[in-house]
Amino acid sequence: MGPELVQGLKYLAAGICMGIGAIGPALGEGRIGASALEAMARQPEMANTLFRNMIIADAIAETTGIYSLLVAIMILFVV
Amino acid sequence: MFATVGKDLVLRFRLGPILVALNPATLGAALGISLLLVGLVLWLRRGIPQDPQAPPSRRLVLLMAFLDLLENQVLGGTDARLRRSLLPFMATLFLYILACNLSSLLPIPGMVAPTQDLNVTLGLALLVYLLTHVYGVRTKGVFRHAKGYLEPIPVMLPLNLVGDMGRTLSHGFRLFGNMLGGAIMVAVAIPVLVDLLLRFFGPLVGTLAIPIVGTGASLLLNAFFGVFAGIVQALVFTLLAAAYIQVATE
Repeated sequence: MGPELVQGLKYLAAGICMGIGAIGPALGEGRIGASALEAMARQPEMANTLFRNMIIADAIAETTGIYSLLVAIMILFVV
Repeated sequence: MFATVGKDLVLRFRLGPILVALNPATLGAALGISLLLVGLVLWLRRGIPQDPQAPPSRRLVLLMAFLDLLENQVLGGTDARLRRSLLPFMATLFLYILACNLSSLLPIPGMVAPTQDLNVTLGLALLVYLLTHVYGVRTKGVFRHAKGYLEPIPVMLPLNLVGDMGRTLSHGFRLFGNMLGGAIMVAVAIPVLVDLLLRFFGPLVGTLAIPIVGTGASLLLNAFFGVFAGIVQALVFTLLAAAYIQVATE
């Protein structure tokens, strides 16, 4: 394989890695946001607490997305 | 483009048989932030009135509000006895990570947020991992703490150990990935935006629009990835540390 092909495959691999890896966190964060909004609409006086917990749950749910970001960075710059 | 991510500045030298690699920019920033925080806290402490009956000063009220927030929000889920002994460590951890995350906003050339370096975040995660064992042994004794790894059945020992490792790694990687990802987004988005402006609006209108759109975009990106993500990730790291230590003492 020529170096251009290897380079192109690297870009392709990084794109696929990030694209597929973002699906899971997106679904998870969507569910978290939807549930939080539902609960806020039901109990507006709890909105502050719910918002804080939603942000924290979002940050934990995006961990797998962060992993795929790291792998994509490694494919592009380290390997 | 990635000079700000801080990979070019790594210093390598040999210390006996060990090959040491360190990044002077990260080291300097981390030490500088530590000194800054020590100075800030000493300044805050000097503002506390000696006489406990005296009316509270402004700095005392600030300190009380901060510690109260931390005690109720971050350590709210932990045991009441554990909370008091954990509070100083958690306050330090939170302040340090927050200052490190926000330091990427400082307009110093070559400035790298120390939390954009995996060594810093993994070091903090290992510190928290060590503390889970310290608190576990302190509350349950060595034998019962070690026995926790054989539950529910002794065959689960390797799985429990791997689980510990994965938890600590993900604890460090989460902070690192979020901060590095934010820095890369800020570094990549603005040149792309400038390129798009020039391509779609032509050289004349594009060049005129670059200062306005660039300033707005850089403000928005830094507000989200620098300030907002920095505060949230500092909070999440501290919260998870408290949760891990709480689990180890049960």
